[in-house]
Amino acid sequence: MAEKPRIKVPKEAKKGEVVEIKTLLAHPMESGLRKDDAGALVPRKIINRFTCEFNGALAFACELEPAIAANPYFQFTVRLEESGTFRFTWIDDDGTAIMADETITVA
Amino acid sequence: MRRAALVTIFVAGITLGPGVRPSNVAAQSAAVPLALDGEASARPWHRYHEWPQRDSAKFNTLAMLASPPAPTQPRKVAGSVAGNSALGAKLAADRSRGGSCLACHVMGPAGDADLPGNLGPDLSQIGNAGLGDETLFNFVYDARVYNADTLMPPWGTHGIFDDQEIGHLVAFLKTLKAPAPFKSDLDDPAKRPPPVENRDNLDSMLNPAMWAVDDKAPALWTEAGPKGAACASCHRDPARAFKTWAAGMPRWEPRLEKVMGIEEFVTRHARATTGHAWPIESAENGALAVYLRFLANGSTIAVDQESAPAKAAYARGEALAHRKVGQLNFACLDCHDAGRGAGKWIRGQWLAQLRGALDHYPTWRTSLQATWDVRKRFQWCQVAVWADELPPDAKEYGDLELYVTAQSNGLKLNVPGIRH
Repeated sequence: MAEKPRIKVPKEAKKGEVVEIKTLLAHPMESGLRKDDAGALVPRKIINRFTCEFNGALAFACELEPAIAANPYFQFTVRLEESGTFRFTWIDDDGTAIMADETITVA
Repeated sequence: MRRAALVTIFVAGITLGPGVRPSNVAAQSAAVPLALDGEASARPWHRYHEWPQRDSAKFNTLAMLASPPAPTQPRKVAGSVAGNSALGAKLAADRSRGGSCLACHVMGPAGDADLPGNLGPDLSQIGNAGLGDETLFNFVYDARVYNADTLMPPWGTHGIFDDQEIGHLVAFLKTLKAPAPFKSDLDDPAKRPPPVENRDNLDSMLNPAMWAVDDKAPALWTEAGPKGAACASCHRDPARAFKTWAAGMPRWEPRLEKVMGIEEFVTRHARATTGHAWPIESAENGALAVYLRFLANGSTIAVDQESAPAKAAYARGEALAHRKVGQLNFACLDCHDAGRGAGKWIRGQWLAQLRGALDHYPTWRTSLQATWDVRKRFQWCQVAVWADELPPDAKEYGDLELYVTAQSNGLKLNVPGIRH
């Protein structure tokens, strides 16, 4: 069961302001290098890509690797010129895309 | 019959309406519905599969005395002990044998002087002390023959090292004649700074234990159980109702004749009211245990230690805190009493004192990526000293939790914490 992502985006910003965004997704980030009790490798299952789009345009993206710890946390900044909607997407190794939206008013 | 009576009381509780104050409810403990039958955690208790599995049945636990008696006389050693100092150096640094000598002693160059502990004395120049082989042998074999209060595990009596291995250790000790060559202040336990935890533990971006408060517990609160009721059926305003309740827990529960912590309360109260099966160490129990304490954050911890049964439980808990348990033969207070181990180091691990030890529990454990409640912490302490743990709802843990929590009386609850 995927948990709801945790996202912190300010409700409002001034035109041209640089706003800080924080996201955190609960995910085990199974590296694929661990062994289970029977000695068999536990299959890799990580979030391998994270993106943040604003009004459809890519604002931030990154690839994740197996060494990244559980519950990946991102903190980044975006300069905003207009009101709109952030779309956050986490891509899991199993192909699932976890998505969440947040709106912000820019005055 | 008893169940019918409980339901009656439960219904009466509802009719009191939202004006019921939790502190009053807690004070009238006989009125709080609790399922008194059965256990509050799994039986038989099986150790968590990811924890080390060992056979510690021949040694004391908090519920049973089994360890072999301490010898009264040193063992006689004729002449000098045969031993190989190089093998001794290796044994002294072997972490698979009770954590290695370096866990507690600085020992000159042994283990490359890499993060030794200081629970025991610095042995870097023990080779200059003029101690005979018999004395050194007996200090390792069972130091209780020289000092009844020693913290040193009885390596020989408890069968961790055999005579030949102790001979190697004695040979190595005799070679130690110069101060330890620390590469940095961090390696020197006298200069290593104690860990500091100053993150905002109530920020759920930083502390995943807060997710219990954000989503998990509120969802459970409104989830109807098999009996049709939910927590919210009676407790409509938990933030107000439980503003101080957790600060008075654990407490003596006369109907169970034991000290009951919040985790066991959740299990038994839910079983009696909503019908939920929320045993201790289940995810649901853990979430509610965090939430109920979170609601009382900022309240002053005030565990009852004055009433007659609480006083008796406190005394039993204190006695348990002094009991040597496990193959390594440690008591809680050996490591966590301010006058003994507290503030010192076992290898790179800093030992906390009892006061303040539980004001942030359940806590997020960054090293394990898991939330631990009080009882799991107790269980791990025992496994770490090579003793068998008890089921989390064991009455001995109740007494111990009351004693340890009472050391924090006067401090403020701050749950969930973040710790390594």
